[in-house]
Amino acid sequence: MLTRGTLIYIGQRLVLIVFTVVVVSFGVFAVVHSLPGNAFVSDRVHGQALQILLHEYGLDLPIPLQYWNWVKGIVLHGSLGVSLYIRGLPITPLVLRELSVSAMLGGSALIVTIGLGITFGVLAAVRQNSWVDYLLTSIAVVGYSVPSFVIASLGILIFGQWLNNLTQGALYYPEPWSGTYGSLAELSLPAIALGFYTSGQITRITRAAMLDVIQQDYIRTARAKGLQNRVVVIRHALRNALVPVTSILGPTVISIITGSVVIENIFGIPGLGKEFVESIFQHDYNVTVGVFTIYAILIGFANLAVDLVYTVIDPRIRY
Amino acid sequence: MANPVLQVQDLSTSFFTGDGEVKAVRNVNFNLFNGETLGLVGESGCGKSVTAMSILGLVQRPGKIVNGKIVFKGQDLVRMPAEELREIRGRDIAMIFQDPLSSLNPVLRVGFQIDEAMKAHDKVPADQIAQRGVDLLKEVRVPDAARRIKDYPHQFSGGMRQRAMIAMGLSNRPEILIADEPTTALDVTVQAQILELLRDLNQEMGTSIILITHNLGVVAGLCKRVIVMYAGEIVEEGPVDQIFESPQHPYTWSLLRSIPRIDADRRERLKSIEGLPPDLIALPPGCEFSPRCPFRIEKCFTQDPELETVGPAQRAACWVTMKRAYAEMGAADITDTRPGAASGIRPPKGIEARVADRRELNAPPLPTPASDE
Amino acid sequence: MATAMPTPATIDYAGGTLAREQVSLWRDGIRRLRRNKLALGAAIYLGFLALVCLVSIFWTPYKPNVIGTCETYQLPSAAHPLGCDDLGRDSLSRLMVGSQVSLSVGLATAIIVLGVGVVVGLIAGYFRGAADAIVSLGINIFYGVPPLLVAVALYVLLGSGLINIIIAISATVWMDMARLARGQALSIREREFIEAARAGGARWGKILFGHILPNALGPIIVQATFVIPVAILTAAFLSFLGFGVPPPKADWGGMANEGLPSLQGGFDPYILLFPALALSITLLAFNFFGDGLRDAFDPRQKR
Repeated sequence: MLTRGTLIYIGQRLVLIVFTVVVVSFGVFAVVHSLPGNAFVSDRVHGQALQILLHEYGLDLPIPLQYWNWVKGIVLHGSLGVSLYIRGLPITPLVLRELSVSAMLGGSALIVTIGLGITFGVLAAVRQNSWVDYLLTSIAVVGYSVPSFVIASLGILIFGQWLNNLTQGALYYPEPWSGTYGSLAELSLPAIALGFYTSGQITRITRAAMLDVIQQDYIRTARAKGLQNRVVVIRHALRNALVPVTSILGPTVISIITGSVVIENIFGIPGLGKEFVESIFQHDYNVTVGVFTIYAILIGFANLAVDLVYTVIDPRIRY
Repeated sequence: MANPVLQVQDLSTSFFTGDGEVKAVRNVNFNLFNGETLGLVGESGCGKSVTAMSILGLVQRPGKIVNGKIVFKGQDLVRMPAEELREIRGRDIAMIFQDPLSSLNPVLRVGFQIDEAMKAHDKVPADQIAQRGVDLLKEVRVPDAARRIKDYPHQFSGGMRQRAMIAMGLSNRPEILIADEPTTALDVTVQAQILELLRDLNQEMGTSIILITHNLGVVAGLCKRVIVMYAGEIVEEGPVDQIFESPQHPYTWSLLRSIPRIDADRRERLKSIEGLPPDLIALPPGCEFSPRCPFRIEKCFTQDPELETVGPAQRAACWVTMKRAYAEMGAADITDTRPGAASGIRPPKGIEARVADRRELNAPPLPTPASDE
Repeated sequence: MATAMPTPATIDYAGGTLAREQVSLWRDGIRRLRRNKLALGAAIYLGFLALVCLVSIFWTPYKPNVIGTCETYQLPSAAHPLGCDDLGRDSLSRLMVGSQVSLSVGLATAIIVLGVGVVVGLIAGYFRGAADAIVSLGINIFYGVPPLLVAVALYVLLGSGLINIIIAISATVWMDMARLARGQALSIREREFIEAARAGGARWGKILFGHILPNALGPIIVQATFVIPVAILTAAFLSFLGFGVPPPKADWGGMANEGLPSLQGGFDPYILLFPALALSITLLAFNFFGDGLRDAFDPRQKR
């Protein structure tokens, strides 16, 4: 599977990821450190006292030098620096724990998205121009038109209140959720609200790809062999239709990250997205930069993973 | 040879489109005999492929078999439940297609696709499938079969892919193999190899073959009997030698004259058939070939001829037939193939508007003959 | 496609023929668009929304920003059809005014992206080489960060005005347009009529905007219509998170945000529901309209 060409390709992509992460982190670093105000504003420290504080955190140095120190911290100690809001709290463990929470939410949403999107897309294509098709494509358009916070709010309204007697609080909970990762029941509503938006796009692409593939000669061959219809649709048609579907997995991951910022704030989920918004409000810039950097790395690897998935799905693609 | 393995009776298949009913196949009757190789010839769009797809029950919406029977082993395939017909597809009647590039699934290994055909039916014991896959590839002369069976289709050349297709078609030892333009997409040298392969398979295994092609040269090399289709109908049928020697339908005659021949007079131009096939939604009244026929008579525009015996085992659907055309219209010397040229008959008013050619009979010939494909 | 048939004009100099082909393509597209009921319905809704937006500049049933116009959390009634919010402001009036933010963000972003994305993309595609390398790298880097986070960072940097929001959002959605324009320029620059124009001594500005752009206009305009809902959605996300237009100005995302506690508290879901509904229907309409436009003008491109 891993040919030499593939390894070279992975190497090139890794270089690009490093480059992107450096550019992004420096950009964000420069932006947030040139913002008016700082994390100490709320402490009402002024003059001499402020200068001492700034010096203590290295914030009085020129920005390129600060950045250089920050990079050194990562490379030498794996440290993203310390929080300015909760003074001296190391960021790395905090952010990594939040990343794992977000990853769990995002991963569940990805499963919802891909599961719903592909199922709906295949059904709509197989029953083209029937009411099933119209219903599912309508759901898809609604899916990518209705903002995720609207879906989330409706979910809270319906399952948290109207149907609460029925579901006995199984699908909604008074925030924040229990423990670090929440229970499966607590995870389900946020994950569905988050995954529904992107599932619309996947439904659409799957349907279009299936309709295209079903016309192909090899589908006729598969039928002529006397294969069962289910086998023809899933093994022969869907396998091929997954190639274009894979191409939007990268944007899907980005959409889910974007959506998770909003969803985590609605549902009080202690993930990266919630931390990001708080860090902005608290002027806790080291955290802001750290979250950005982690997201940039995440997206880089997600895109690389998608490219490798391609080679598994379509044997003609080799790097 | 006397007992037919497949009887197609009054088969009509139509496609119901937004513009109207496209009558792709109309009242087609023929028998396929045991161990025979039957040629099915005609221009693209004449209904030969739709006939084949009808036999296998593979006509997809908006297409539908509107009439007729297809009798195989005493059972009518047209009225058979879908699941039973699926069992017959690929097991008793197999089909190979024109373009081996697009007819193999690009994301599945060749061996997998061959084995799959066997796994779909219970004719080959499960423990023999893998070995038989390799044996089949050897049989169709794919070199290094044991290794190549693990390849993907894009790693195969065009000819190899068609061999793999044939291996797939033969995997369940079908009684009938339908080959739809099996050589059209291939190089000439490869074409010859594939045809030779088909002939050997026919002789060694006794598989009956329906060979669909627009290439009369292919028919001449492989078939004993040929059926010529035009605009969804059979216009002529009979033994290959006889049809080549003495075609009786003007369409068959024109087709034969449009083949380049190595022994022909170099100065003689190739004769293409003027005009286009009729619109299958709004067919002309009378004979469907009349708008393009050089030998048409008045009757051709009003009455549709039936297949009638014109020689030993040879039948044609024509009011004139070439015998009369040679005798009365000087067909031997004709160089002007424009509609009605030999008989001098123009379409009656009213019909004229519906037939495809709008050219004046006595207008000077156009510089380039219209191509049919 | 019927319009792709060569016309007798094909013998003309290629540039002229192409222009004529384009004209009939447009006419054909408008005809196809009219037949698309969904797109037509969406267009009618969007016209209505534009009207509401205009009216709201001069008149609303109540003053949208005056606190205590009615009781706080008042449910919908005859006097206040959509009820009142947590500060006792009339929700209908605020909903009407909120359309201003959504529409201006959507349209302004589309225009900025059209300008910047197309120019950058055309230049990259036409000149290739270093220009292309820089632009492509920029596109890749921007694809490597979540757009909402970039918008938040820029929002914080630039400050909270409407124009700053538009700039922040534009910075996150220009890449698709640039990539499209680049691809178009890359393919069109190889066509014969560009060769002819170049041989005729046309300068690159003339070639880019006089020859390449007109021939790439269909897909570019379709892409621009899809920028609008994305921009509106991003703006709604921003203000839902608290990075919107400065209060007391109403906008739909911010209204939904203000309504969230009363929905979660279970006493008044309407404060959130109405702006959420307005936002959803508007986004739906823009998407339907964009789909219709794409099907009508860019039939080759399927998504």
